[in-house]
Amino acid sequence: MDALTTALKVASSGLSAQSQRLRVVSENLANAQSTGDTPGADPYRRKTITFAAELDKVSGGSTVSVLKVNRDPTDFPLEYLPGHEAADANGYVKMPNVNPLIEMADVSEANRSYQANLQVIKQARNLISMTIDLMRNQ
Amino acid sequence: MLQALGALTPLSPSSNATASSNAAASTSGQVGASFADLVAAAAGHTVGAMRGAEQLSVEALQGQADVREVVDAVMSAEQSFQAAVAIRDKIVTAYLEVSRMAI
Repeated sequence: MDALTTALKVASSGLSAQSQRLRVVSENLANAQSTGDTPGADPYRRKTITFAAELDKVSGGSTVSVLKVNRDPTDFPLEYLPGHEAADANGYVKMPNVNPLIEMADVSEANRSYQANLQVIKQARNLISMTIDLMRNQ
Repeated sequence: MLQALGALTPLSPSSNATASSNAAASTSGQVGASFADLVAAAAGHTVGAMRGAEQLSVEALQGQADVREVVDAVMSAEQSFQAAVAIRDKIVTAYLEVSRMAI
């Protein structure tokens, strides 16, 4: 396969991976306050995403794909809310182990990676177009 | 389209310039057939790409396809189309060049 077309394909897989990452981060942020509904129940557990290189057999390029969406095993912070329906006998509620600051940093990184891949697509397309334009009248 | 172009073998030059019009016609007919095949294959590829892009666009409107996939398909169709147009322009230019030849 054409090298520039392969570059397009690889960058496109990067776009896909970064959008998956943004999806996971948005789930975390949206559920930052999601508690359980019975006393002592576990709240929402933060999700993490990992990527892996994958060989595209048609073009021979290494594309990126989502390896796994895992759960963050860290402990839940406790908050003293005696009136809450998920409060245990001592009045403590388990809150999700989501730190909005970390999630926002993740959003920024996903955003930048997405932009970088978009830029690669633009450049590769531009190069292909310029090559085709060689055929046009001078 | 680019793959189809890569398969293009150089046309053999017509050696019998002084031959009768009948022989010249048959030679050009033979060369023309292989070139026509190439153009047909390239055009088929372009039309296929356009069809795929159209289908994906409709699926995206129905909420079944990724925006990214649609953009990929539409862009590759557009590129195939540009290449096809460029080649058509070249062919037309060559034809006009021949038609303007002083006899």
